[in-house]
Order: sequence, then C-alpha cells, then structure tokens
Amino acid sequence: MPNLRRGATRLRIRGPAVTVAIRVAIFLLSLVLASVLIFVVCAALPGDIAQVILGQNATSESLAALRHSLGLDRPLLSRYLDWVGGMLTGDFGTSFFTRLPVADQIATRLAVTGWLVFFGMAVALLVAVPVGMIAAVRRRRLSGAVISGLSQIGLAVPAFWAGILAVFIFAVKLRWLPANGYVPLREDPMQWAAHLVLPVLSLAVVQASVLTRYVRSAIVDVLEEDYIRTARAAGWTRLGALWRHGLRNASISVVTVLGLQLATLFVGAIVIESVFALPGLGQLLLDAVAQRDLMVVQGTVMVLVFAVLVVNTAVDLSYVALDPRIRTARR
Amino acid sequence: MRRVTLLAGVALVSVVVLLALVSFVWTPYDPVRVDPSARLLGPSAAHWLGTDGFGIDIASRIMVAAQTCLLVGVIAVGIAALVGVPIGIGSGLLGGWFSEVVMRVTDVLYAFPALLLAILLAAAFGASTWTAMIAIGIATIPAFARVARAGTVQVMASDYVLAARSCGTGRAAIAGRHILPNVAPVVGVQASVAFGIAILAEAALSYLGLATPPPTPTWGRMLRDAQTYLFTEPSLALWPGLAIAVAVLGFNLLGDGLRDLLDPKLREQAR
Amino acid sequence: MTKKLVSAVALALAAAMALTACTSASSAPSPAQQLTIGASLEPPTLDPTGSDAASIPQVLLYNVYETLIKIDNAGKFQPLLAQKWQTSPDRTGYTFTLANATFASGRPVTSKDVAWSLDRVRAGNNVAAASQLSVIKSVSTPNPTTVVVRLTKPSSSWLFAMASTAGIIFDSASTSDFATVPAGSGPYRLARWTKGSDLALDRNNAYWQRKAAFDTVTFRYFTDPNAMNSALLSGGLDVISNLQVPQTLPQFADTSRYRVIEGTTNGEVVMSLNNSAKALSDKRVRQAINYAVDRQALVDTVWAGKGTLIGSMVPPTDPWYTDLSQTYPYDPAKARQLLAQAGYSHGLRLRMRLPVVPYATASGQFVASQLADVGIQVTTEELEFPRWLDQVFTKADYDISIVAHVEARDMVRFADPKYYFRYDNPTVTRLVAEADAGSEAQQIAKMKQVAAILANDAAADWLFLLPNLVVTTADVTGVPQNATTLSFDLSSIAKAA
Repeated sequence: MPNLRRGATRLRIRGPAVTVAIRVAIFLLSLVLASVLIFVVCAALPGDIAQVILGQNATSESLAALRHSLGLDRPLLSRYLDWVGGMLTGDFGTSFFTRLPVADQIATRLAVTGWLVFFGMAVALLVAVPVGMIAAVRRRRLSGAVISGLSQIGLAVPAFWAGILAVFIFAVKLRWLPANGYVPLREDPMQWAAHLVLPVLSLAVVQASVLTRYVRSAIVDVLEEDYIRTARAAGWTRLGALWRHGLRNASISVVTVLGLQLATLFVGAIVIESVFALPGLGQLLLDAVAQRDLMVVQGTVMVLVFAVLVVNTAVDLSYVALDPRIRTARR
Repeated sequence: MRRVTLLAGVALVSVVVLLALVSFVWTPYDPVRVDPSARLLGPSAAHWLGTDGFGIDIASRIMVAAQTCLLVGVIAVGIAALVGVPIGIGSGLLGGWFSEVVMRVTDVLYAFPALLLAILLAAAFGASTWTAMIAIGIATIPAFARVARAGTVQVMASDYVLAARSCGTGRAAIAGRHILPNVAPVVGVQASVAFGIAILAEAALSYLGLATPPPTPTWGRMLRDAQTYLFTEPSLALWPGLAIAVAVLGFNLLGDGLRDLLDPKLREQAR
Repeated sequence: MTKKLVSAVALALAAAMALTACTSASSAPSPAQQLTIGASLEPPTLDPTGSDAASIPQVLLYNVYETLIKIDNAGKFQPLLAQKWQTSPDRTGYTFTLANATFASGRPVTSKDVAWSLDRVRAGNNVAAASQLSVIKSVSTPNPTTVVVRLTKPSSSWLFAMASTAGIIFDSASTSDFATVPAGSGPYRLARWTKGSDLALDRNNAYWQRKAAFDTVTFRYFTDPNAMNSALLSGGLDVISNLQVPQTLPQFADTSRYRVIEGTTNGEVVMSLNNSAKALSDKRVRQAINYAVDRQALVDTVWAGKGTLIGSMVPPTDPWYTDLSQTYPYDPAKARQLLAQAGYSHGLRLRMRLPVVPYATASGQFVASQLADVGIQVTTEELEFPRWLDQVFTKADYDISIVAHVEARDMVRFADPKYYFRYDNPTVTRLVAEADAGSEAQQIAKMKQVAAILANDAAADWLFLLPNLVVTTADVTGVPQNATTLSFDLSSIAKAA
C-alpha cells in the first residue's frame, strides 16, 4: 500500500538537525524569491524618478544624464545583483533624493518601529497570558465568558480607531499624554516614553485580544489532556497541575500565534505610525513610494519581509525546541 | 452558548448587509452632496448622527460605506478562496515534495501582508477599490491554502478514504466525493473569519488613502477626516469606527458560531 | 519650475516669510536662545541647484545662503551682498558692487564667487532656477568687488529671480558636498540634519552683519499636520511655519499662550481646466464651471474660512493685483444656462484627477458636488504625485485638476501654451513678453491686463489663495504677516527670554 499518511507530518519525522537545515534552506530561498519580487515590482512602477527630481522643463539629455548618474540606465539584472550584493554587506544603496545611505535611514526608522512593536507585543503578552489562563480555567463561569466576550470585541476594533479614541481621551480631554509625535530616547527619555504610551496601548489592545483567545484555547486543550486529569487525581490543584505540566504544551501553539502576530504587528505598526505621526519604517515607506525613491522602497520592503520571514522561521524552529517529540525524533 | 454566538453573528452581519442593501434605494440624505450651510451639526432629529465637515449626513455616509466594505470583503475573500482552496487541496492530495514546494511558495506570500501589497499596487495603478480588494485577496490566499490542505490531509488519512484508495478509486474521484464535502465547512468558517479581517484591512487602507478615493464614502476615510476635527467635533470619530467594529465582530462571531456548529472539535486552527 | 510646483503640492505651500530688509528687529543675542519651527516638507537635498523643492529655500534662503539683493515686504529690492547696483540705459546691463561680506568659512565674498555661483545655477539640476537665469549673456568680474552681468534682452523677472533661489551665492572655495553641507554667507550655518526628522541651524558667529538672534534654530519636519499641532501644544515647538489644517485653529484660541498670524502667500489654489479638452475648450463651459462653484463656501468648508478669493492668478502682494474675485459670482442657474447654450443641457461628464494632498482632496469633493448640481458629472481620481506629474502635468491627460501654485509671480505660466493648462492665447503670450521687457510701470500695466483677460476667459477656476497661517507661542515676535518669498526668513523673529 502506498504511504498515504505522508504530507503534513513529513517534516516531523526527521531528525532535528535535518529539520533545521531544511527550514533554513527554505528561509534563504524565500528570501531570494522575495527580493526578486520586490525588485521587479519596484522596477515596474510607473513614474520616472529623474523627472520627479528635475521637473518638466528638463530636457531629454538632462534626464538621460541624471538616469545615468543614478545608474538607472544599466540592465535590470546588474542593478539587481548590485542591490542584493550590497545588502549582503549591509549596504542598501543610496537614496536617489537625499543621497544618504538607505541603510542609515532604515536603521533610524527601524528603531522607532522596533520599540513600538516590542512594547506592543510585551504589553499584549503581559495581559494575554494571565487573562487567557483565567479565562480557560474559569471557562464555565461568568468571568470566563466575560473575558471571552471582551476579547471578541477587542478583536473587532481596528487598532487605528483605538488610537484615535485614545488620543481623544488621554490627549485632548485629560491632557495626560501627547497626542502624537516622537522624541528619540537619547534626547529625552521621559518624553520618549510619554510619546510611546498611546501608540503602544492602541497596538496592544488588539494584540492582547488575539493572544488571549489563543492562550485560552491552548490551555483548554491542555486541561482536557489525560495527564492533567491524572495530576488532579494525584492531588494537584487545577492551576498547579497546569503550571507543572501544561504550560510547555500550551506554549507550542501560543508561540506559533505569537510569531505570526509579531509579523502582522510590524505591518499594523504602519497604520499606528500614521495615526500618531511616528517617524517609523511605515512612514518612511509611504513617503518613499510617494517620491519614487526606489532604493528606499526596495530596502524598506525587504527589511519588513525579512522580519516576517525570520519570525516565521523562528516559529518553525521553536517547535523543535519546544516539542519533545520533534526534539528527540522518537519516531 | 454556541447558539448565542451564531445568532449574534448572524444578527450583526444582517444589520450591516441590510444597511448596505437599503442604501441602494434610500438614504436619509444624499451621501455625497455638500451642504455648506449644514456643516458639523450635532446629532438631531433631522440628522441622527449629525453632519460632517462638508455638511453631509453621517448616517447616510455610514450606510453607503457598508456597500464598499461588503464588496471588498466578498471579492477579496472570493479571490483568496478560489486560488487558495485548489492549491491547498491539490497539495494535500498529492503530498510529497510538490506539496512542500507549493506550500512554501504560498508561505512567501505570507511575508507580503495586505498592506505592503496595497502600497505597491496603489503606486503602480493608483489607489482604488480594486487595488485594495486584490491586495487583500492575494494576501489572504495562504490562509485558505493552509486550511484546505490541513482538511485534505485529515480526510486523506481517514479510514474511509484509505478504504476507497485500496479499492482503486482515483484521486480526482476522491477529491470530488470525499474531500470537497469535508473541506467545505472548514473553508466556510475560514471565509467568515477572513471576511472580518478583510474589512479591517480595507478600513486601514482607506484610512491611509490607499483604497477607494473620495467622494465615495468609506469608514476608514471618514475616520481620517474625523481626526482633523478631533479637538472640536470628536463624535465624528465615533460612528465610522463603531460601524467597522460591528461588521468585524459580526463576521467573527458568525465564523466562531459556524465552527462550533459544524464541528465542536474544530478549534481556532485557522492561522 | 515644476519642482516648485512639486513642493507646492506637497507642501500645500511653503511657509514663506517676507523680509524686513536688513534691519533686524531682534535684540542682541542672549545666551542659549533656541527656536524650534515646525514645517511640513523636508528638503530632498540641501543643494538649491539640485532640486527646486520649495522646502530648500524655506530653510536656506536668507538664513544660510544670501543673494546679491533681497525683496522687502513692500516688494522693493534691497541691498544684501551687493551694496548697490546700476542698470544700463537699455536695461540689459547690470553692475553690482559687492558689500564687504564674508562667507561662514571666513573667506570674503568676491566677484569670482558670484560668477561661479551664477554658472553653477545655470548648469544645475534646478531647471526652474536655471531657466530664470537663461537670459544672462555674460558675467564679467573687472575686480573682486564688481560684477557686471549682461542680458540678451531686458527682463524684469530676471532681477526678481536674482533675489530668490536662482541668485544664491555659494562659497566657491568650499570642497564640501553642497547636497548635505551648505556653504553660504548667511547669519546661520547648518549644525546637523537628521534625515526624516529635523534640521538644525546654529549661529554663524563670523556673520558679516548683525549677528543672528538665536543660537540654534531647528526645523522639525512633520508629514502629519496634526502631529505638528500637538507638538506646539505640548511645548515641542515654538512656531508652526504654516498651519496645514486650519480647522484645528480653535486649539490655539488661548491668546495668552499662542499667537496666530494670518496673512497671504503666493499659493493660488488653481482648479485647472484643460483648455484643450473637447468640452473645456468652449469658453461657455469654463464660465459655467466658474459660476457653479461657490468659492466662499468652499473656503469656509475646506479651509475653515481662511484664505482669500482672487479670481485670477495674482496674490494681493503683487504690484499688479486688482480684485477680480467677483468676475463669476456663484450662480448655478447661469451655469446651467451656459451649459445648455454650449450643448450640454443633457449633462456633461468630466474627469477630475487630483494629486493626493489634503486641500485638493477636500476641494475636489466640494467642487464635484457643486458641479453635479448644475449637471456636470465628475469622476474623481487621486494620483500620487509622481503619477500626477506624469499624467496630468506632463501629458495633460485630465479635464479638471486642483493644485496650489506657490511660486511667486507665476501668472506667466498661462503664456506657455504647452503648460498643462493648455491655454493658448497669443495676446497673453505677447503681453507677458512685453511686460518682462518693459519698464516697471509698463510691466504692472501689462500684467494687470493679462490678469483681467485670464479671469474673463475663465482660463481656470481660481478657488482661493492659501493663507499664511503661522502659529507661534506667545513669546515669539516678529513673524511677518505675508509670505512673499519662499524663505522662512528668521531675521526679524525674536523670542522673549
């Protein structure tokens, strides 16, 4: 009989080293594929950067000269190879407009987006893990239902609307916090924190709702496992049994979601940056697209995609670490 | 409890659909006609939700915007399902390296979220309802592919399919007879969830100006406009956001309710 | 020229302050004086010859770089790097005598620098500036303090250009890359430029005239106008160089804390009508459109009632201004009548293609609604700037568009039949040429004629003139009311300690 059960479980029955190697290879291939896609799409965007820089009175000679000096008249393949080759050494090229290194601009902006995403996720986790556990343990009581209901609502609220409402309440009415803008950490740590509170909270409200639901359902699954019942029978309390035996198992599915959410968080941050006028990666991207500053567009999209791919790979690899069956490749 | 979820979902979705349908034939006021003499009026008997900075009735705009929201949802989810489900089923059915490759390629799509695609599409073709729908649709393909594949693999491993295979039934026949009926409910649930996500994405895109251009009202654009008046007329920011939340909540509850109804064991495995 | 327009669009208009000549209203600098200014568009480069973005002169002109002459509040020329200048009787020769000025580097400003700078501008990528200097036949430097410029023909606009970006004098001995490190003779020097965030100037302590009032002046850039407002509200800014969302003015109503300066700019918000499009080539249709739009209501709705109705391409600060705003008063019945006469009694469909800027989006929505009232169905499309530039501005593939033209004295655009207005009127072309070649009095008379012809011809629909809305904290003084150049001139501004 043919092996009909292969497919989904195929990766799982290999040894950990092979699993890791395959996953890393897939990651690298995806990266290459993504870079080609990005480059091709950017090259195909209508709107001539030389014309944007020079204006309409530009003669065709001056346009050609500028395109030449920007290297835009070279064959696509060599431009692509230069770009990719540069990125491997950390050189993302030079902005057509500002003539500043793209990598520097991305780094500055990434700091803003990075803080936003980091704190957004941290706050969401701090809320979601305990709340999700309570909701799971008390799932048959009113408090559990209320938490589920609230998380359901939180899931439906657009983060940017939460942001706008937060601005109204905390900045316009109460005047506790600035409505928007950003101050770098090294300039003024207090102001930096004050400017991040509302964006982080808006991002975290939605994320916490998503995570709470996943934590809850993961814990519920675990609670119904035999070993918890055994532990309960052996005199452990429900929470104690959960703590002792269940968390590792629950964490596998939570980590999956965490990873995927981290990826969407990076992108969701673009909208939040817009609400709060934070000079992050998203604003850099939107501005660069509007100016057809393709080197910046390519670089920024590549960094975002890279982040998503890294997270996805890390999630997959974390299975190996967290799932003893995969780790020891028992089968 | 399960019934409550489903019913609540159906009720909320019905409200949104009804608003959209009614708006085709009737709205309290013209949703695009500017009236400089009626600017920024608060809620009243004449204007239930007040008027915006152009003197346009907000209730009318909310109603008409439901059309765009549903249209984007239907087309985006349609694209995702029509492309994603065959990929998922095919990959689950054939298995092996081919399956791996196909799924990994769709995984690369995961790295291009709707927002990035929408930015690039808007840059290439100009922002419109279509670029938004297509961007959201493409970005949602992997979710459908995964769900369909998981369902297929599950069915393929079931005893009755094993029995059918050992009797020499072909793959196509199995796909038609066993897989499609079994995968359909999961896909249905996924569609409802994806619909909610699509509405959120559309709202974010129109908020950023990357979707439907004015004067066609959209909830996202209304929120952007409302931000200007946050200090003077904050209530403008309330209604469109509420509309989005209700619509998304409706589709999420519908999805959860359907899931529970179809298979209580099927939990949130949709990624 | 285009890039000026580029910035016009993107900036919604450059905050441009009139100068108060060389007399600085500020007191002697007190220790650690800082000024932080919010602006909406960041310079793409710091080289004024690299791009004609209005954001470059906003920061650099008169502050970091100086010109031979400057224009004062009343539109009169005043000496700057040139202490005096003489015009030849045939008005094609100009002799400038340089003041005893020095660059920030300490080098004296010599006639060689002037000749070098004029060459640099003419060869540069700022096509607008280069073309403004294209009438120059020769530049000679008989001695270090004398520059003689010969023109191919008399030109009033040339001297005007010499007082703006095109006339910037660079330090010819500088080896720095002007795109990131300016080298001028102004009261300030570049301190730092954090791309995407802010640009700081500090006092040029070797300045050859009265030293600057501030130790540091920081221009902070905000893509989001609301963010700029909150920055002022939370104490992060002293000045909003130009309020982009006038609807938010009530936030600054507290006169004990804020000061709102309201004046005019050169930014005409033009609803351009493609004069070569089939329907719009008919004057009656253009007139109908002008009658159909209630411009006062439009300003009230989209720009909180701030802004001036102009009726032609002339701001009130130009010498040839006359009030033409009532040429086509709001009269929808008349509009319908004209449309019927033109053969469109059963309706007319037009494409409105707008750049993505707040005033265009809002005005477009308003106009589309009012045109629908008289039977013109407008389909609206929003184009990102590069696409707008390509399709509307270059290829004139549009019926209606809306964009602010912020450049000073840009009525002359209508004299170019190839400009995206596609307005082809030989009389206007001739009058504009004569105005440039004539004396000042002739120039004013002819330009007045042109303005009237354009208004009557309904060559476009001039929706309104963008206001110069500067908001400052109460301790900032000396911000000029009207913006007559693209420079945010710091010379008259002071801040109570």
